[in-house]
Amino acid sequence: MNWILPREAVVVAVKTETPDTKTLTLRLRNSHERLDFKPGQFNMVGLPGIGEAPITFSSPSGNETFQHTVRAVGRVTRALTALKGSDVLHVRGPFGSGWPEDEAVGKNLLIVAGGMGMVPLRPFLLHVFENRIKFGRIVVLYGARTPDDMLFRDEVTVWAEQADTKVLLTVDEVPVGSTWTGPTGVVTELFDHPGVLLDDALALTCGPELMMRFVVRGLLLRQFPASRIYLSLERRMRCGVAQCGHCQIGPKYVCQDGPVFCYTDLRGWPDTLL
Amino acid sequence: MVEPFAPGILSKEALDARLDALLKEYEIVAPVNRRGQAHFSKIIEISEIEWGYSSSVIPPSKVIYQAEQLLMRFVNQDGSYLVVEQHPPSRQRILLGVHPCDIHGILVLERTLVGRWQDSWYAGERKRSLIIGLNCQNPGPDCFCSSFGTGPFYAPWMGQGPPEGCDLFMTELMSGYLIETFTEAGRRLLEGSELTKPTDSDLVEKDERHKKTLDQFTKHLNTDGLDALLNRHLEHPVWERVGEDRCLSCTNCTMVCPTCYCYDIVDRAQLDLKTILRWRRWDSCQDQHFAEVHFGNFRPSRKARLRQFVCHKLSYWMEQYGCYGCVGCGRCIHWCPTGIDLTEIAAEIRREEIRL
Repeated sequence: MNWILPREAVVVAVKTETPDTKTLTLRLRNSHERLDFKPGQFNMVGLPGIGEAPITFSSPSGNETFQHTVRAVGRVTRALTALKGSDVLHVRGPFGSGWPEDEAVGKNLLIVAGGMGMVPLRPFLLHVFENRIKFGRIVVLYGARTPDDMLFRDEVTVWAEQADTKVLLTVDEVPVGSTWTGPTGVVTELFDHPGVLLDDALALTCGPELMMRFVVRGLLLRQFPASRIYLSLERRMRCGVAQCGHCQIGPKYVCQDGPVFCYTDLRGWPDTLL
Repeated sequence: MVEPFAPGILSKEALDARLDALLKEYEIVAPVNRRGQAHFSKIIEISEIEWGYSSSVIPPSKVIYQAEQLLMRFVNQDGSYLVVEQHPPSRQRILLGVHPCDIHGILVLERTLVGRWQDSWYAGERKRSLIIGLNCQNPGPDCFCSSFGTGPFYAPWMGQGPPEGCDLFMTELMSGYLIETFTEAGRRLLEGSELTKPTDSDLVEKDERHKKTLDQFTKHLNTDGLDALLNRHLEHPVWERVGEDRCLSCTNCTMVCPTCYCYDIVDRAQLDLKTILRWRRWDSCQDQHFAEVHFGNFRPSRKARLRQFVCHKLSYWMEQYGCYGCVGCGRCIHWCPTGIDLTEIAAEIRREEIRL
C-alpha cells in the first residue's frame, strides 16, 4: 500500500489524563489489519481537513487496540483531544526507530522523563516490567510542571512497588491547595539521590529538549558514558519517511533515523538545544 | 546507416523533421524563451526551442517533481471519509534539451523521492518522461558544474550517470547533432531517421567543443573534502555575517534548486465541505516556520537557515545519500536577490583553514 494513504482508526475509549491531555484507545477500522510497532515508534495521526501530526505510541504493541496520548497544543492536537468514543481518525505508520530494546537486556535502566516525555517511555517500561527478569535495576525519574501535569499516576505508583525498582517524582511548582509532599525542582536534581546512578546502565530520556540538554550534561558530568544515553526527539514532520525534509538535524532524519537517537549520533550537529 | 545504440549524426534538418513527427505523438517539454529567460515549457512548434540556452529558471527535475501535487481526496460519505487516491497521468512525454547538470539533478533528487520509500507521484511522472539530453556549450557566469564533474558534457558522477539519466543524448556539432542512444525507448524515438556514422573529425570536434566550453567557466568550487570541511566549521562567522546581513529568507534558492525536495502537506476543503483535497507542495528550509514546533523554533535565525541550505547541499547530503546535493547549476546564486554565493562561502571557510 502507498505509505501516504492513511488508514481509518476508531476511537474505542478516551481517558482524560490531565486538563489538557487525553489518551485515545484506538483500533483499526479494518478488523483484518493490525498495527505492529516497537516502543518509541510513532504514527502520523490526523483528520481530513485538519492535518496530521507525528504522535508516538503510548501503549505496547501486540494488542487489538493501541493508544496515543495527546496534549492539545496546536490545530491537529486540539482536534484529536476533542474526539469522543466511536469517532474515526486517520493513522499512517508505524514510522521511525524505537528504544534500544536489545541493548537494554541485562543492563540497569535509568529512565528520565519530563512531562509529556513519559508518553514514548511508557510502552518501553511496560515491556520491561512484562519481561522483568531480562533487565537489571530500574530507576525512573519523572518530573512535571505541577502534580496535576503528571501522566499515568496510577501506573507510576504500581511501578514503584516492583522489585528492584526505584521511582522518584518531582514537580517544578506546587500550586496552592495541592496535596503534593514530594520534592520540588528540576528532574536533574534527582541524579544525586542514592542509588540513582548505577554502573552498567543505559539511560533513556524524553521530555522538552531543554530538559534533555541538562539531563545529558548532568549524566556526562557524572561520568555516564555518552554512548549509553538515548533520547527521543520532537521535530516538525509532514511525511514520516525522510522526504518532506522538515525534521532534519544535520544529516539525520528524526523521522527515520530517530525519533530515538543515541546521544553520540546527535552530538555536534547544529539547531538543537542539546 | 548506423547500428542501434551506436552514436550517429543527424543533420539539423533531419532532427527538426524527426521532432516535428514526434510532436504529433508526444507532449514535448523543451527550453523556450519567455521574456528573456529560458523556461521548460510544453511546445507547440519546433521553432520555439531555444537550443543554445544557458540555464532555465526552474530546473527540469521540477517539471517532474511538480510544485503542487494533489495526493488524494477525502469524500464524506455518511459521516466517514472515503479516501480516493489520485493517480499520476501515464501518457508519455519528452523532456528535450536537458543539460548534463540537470540530468544529474534529476538523479540526485531521485535518491530521496524514489529511495527506500517511493513517492508514487514522482515515480509516475518520471516514468512517463523520456529524457533527451543536450551537452551544454553556453555556461553562464554563475555556473560551476565543471567543478563537480556534472557538466558541461555528460559523464558519470558519484555513482550515477549514463545510461540511467536519459534515453537519448545530443551534442551540437558543425555537421548536425551527434546522437547517443542509451535506452530502447530512446532508440524507438529515432525510428525512421537516417543517422550517419560519425567521422573521426566529428569526434575530434566534440572533444574540442568540450575543452572550449570548459575554458568558459569563471566560477569554481574546490570540492576536495568539502563535506568534512564544512562539518568542521558549523560555527564559522560567515554564517552569521552572510545570513543576518544579506539573506532575506525569500526562498528563491530552494525553489530553483534542482535537488531540493522538501514539501508541506496541506488539506483544502471544498466549499460544500463534503470533499477535502490533500495536496503536497514545495516547502523551503528558508521559510521562518519550517522547523517550528509548538514550543518554539529550531531554526529561528536566518543564520541557522542559510547554514542548513548550504551545509545540506555541500555536506549532509553526502552522509544521507552518498553524493553531493549540489550539481553546480548556479541557480541559487543567479536568483538570489542579494547575491549570496555558496561557492564564496565555501571558499571563505577553506581560506580560513589554510591560514590556520
